[in-house]
Amino acid sequence: MCASSVIHGTTLGATRRIRAISGAATGQLARQRPAPPVPLTEAEAIRLAQAGNAPAFEFLYQLHGRRVYALCLRMVGNPADAEDLMQEAFLQLFRKIGTFRGESAFSTWLHRMTVNVVLMRLRKKSLPTDSLEETLEPDAENSGPKRDVGAPDLRLSGAVDRVNLERCIEKLPPGYRTVFVLHDVQGYEHNEIANIMGCSVGNSKSQLHKARTRLRELLQEEIRQQAREERKAAKTPSGSLE
Amino acid sequence: MQCKELEFVLESEGLAQLPKDARLHLATCAACQGLLADLNSIVSAAKSLPAEVAPPDRIWISLRAQLEAEGLIKEPVEVSEHSSWWESFTGWMKPRTFATAAAGLVVLAVAVFVTRIQHGSNPGVAKNQPAVETLRPAQSTTATSTSPSSTSPLNVPSQGPVPSRAKELAPSPSESASFTLTQAELDVPDMQLAGNSQVDASLRQNLRTLNAFIAECELHLKQNPQDELAREYLYTAYQQKADLLAAMMESGRGEN
Repeated sequence: MCASSVIHGTTLGATRRIRAISGAATGQLARQRPAPPVPLTEAEAIRLAQAGNAPAFEFLYQLHGRRVYALCLRMVGNPADAEDLMQEAFLQLFRKIGTFRGESAFSTWLHRMTVNVVLMRLRKKSLPTDSLEETLEPDAENSGPKRDVGAPDLRLSGAVDRVNLERCIEKLPPGYRTVFVLHDVQGYEHNEIANIMGCSVGNSKSQLHKARTRLRELLQEEIRQQAREERKAAKTPSGSLE
Repeated sequence: MQCKELEFVLESEGLAQLPKDARLHLATCAACQGLLADLNSIVSAAKSLPAEVAPPDRIWISLRAQLEAEGLIKEPVEVSEHSSWWESFTGWMKPRTFATAAAGLVVLAVAVFVTRIQHGSNPGVAKNQPAVETLRPAQSTTATSTSPSSTSPLNVPSQGPVPSRAKELAPSPSESASFTLTQAELDVPDMQLAGNSQVDASLRQNLRTLNAFIAECELHLKQNPQDELAREYLYTAYQQKADLLAAMMESGRGEN
């Protein structure tokens, strides 16, 4: 009956966990008005969530979770960190939902929290030479497009595919990366980005342009690297012992 | 316009709807043409990236557990607005009463059985039941332990399987417990136990695991009626099942 002992311990532990969950869920037993069905509007869900309604929380999570997760994933580049950040962002949101007064759009408020959570995490991980703050300040020098003689034309070479672009986005400084993902990937306008990032509209536009030009440089480097590897592979005939 | 000025325009106005001066410069400057083409390629590729990515389900499960732990989620009792206070009270109590009664019956059955075991461990008592012995198939009389199926309210526990006539008179404690729990379980399949299908599935899986374990114990005891450890496991499993059903009904009450 060794297996039975295992099951004994397992089911006992499982029952305790179930009790903990159900006990917390049932909460107070005072008579209250019955909870309405799943709300149809975000505003209704916010109001109910402020009252502690569980389906309302889930409604808001389902409504915004995919975009938040996509943002976290592109900012940190790996699913494990993205999951932690997403959970932290929603936890902060639901803790503070009682303070939401509707002055800004709920999604903007949520994305602001998400960006703050992400940048805080990146700030903790950043190396001393990898400054985050400088990316939020407009660059005084503006010397025009770099004239790289012989640099590949991305449009002609068709090198701007999703894989290359995703790889290069990960290499952007966090401030550039945030603005680029919010604007060009997720479709936010500059006034919304300014609200999320806590900067001016002009700054948002400036950062976006810098992000795009930096991506151009990274993609050009990516193409050059691939071209070098192709040449190297071509020099080694198949079947050689090298 | 110079290249530097064009880039300033791109930075402040974006890529769309360039002013006339910028368009004139672009017509004559290959470098700036290349820059603009590249930037447009990047923007087009970025637009093709999915703006949304489905997160794993475990995030919500973990998040919900955390919200419940912090008391941010409050589950109100579903009460009809126009029901009387008595209807409300009985409606709230009903699933709890049933589950509590099931748990109570199990405890009572265990207590009765343990008491009978203590009486039945005295060999002298067993000899005073000749009627039962005549119906019992040939069994070793040296064993003093009893099988739960051999007990009945009218007979002292004896060795071997219970005679069919004695069995018909009254169910054994384990049969009573099993029957009570089975009845309590009848309501569960149609209930939505939790707002999240993962939690619902987890609760039902735990119940299936327990049922399988109980079936294994009962089968083992039929083959080895003297196995006290198996009997102890079985009654502990009954208790656990009663607890689990009570928890499931509490959880389902808020959802149904």
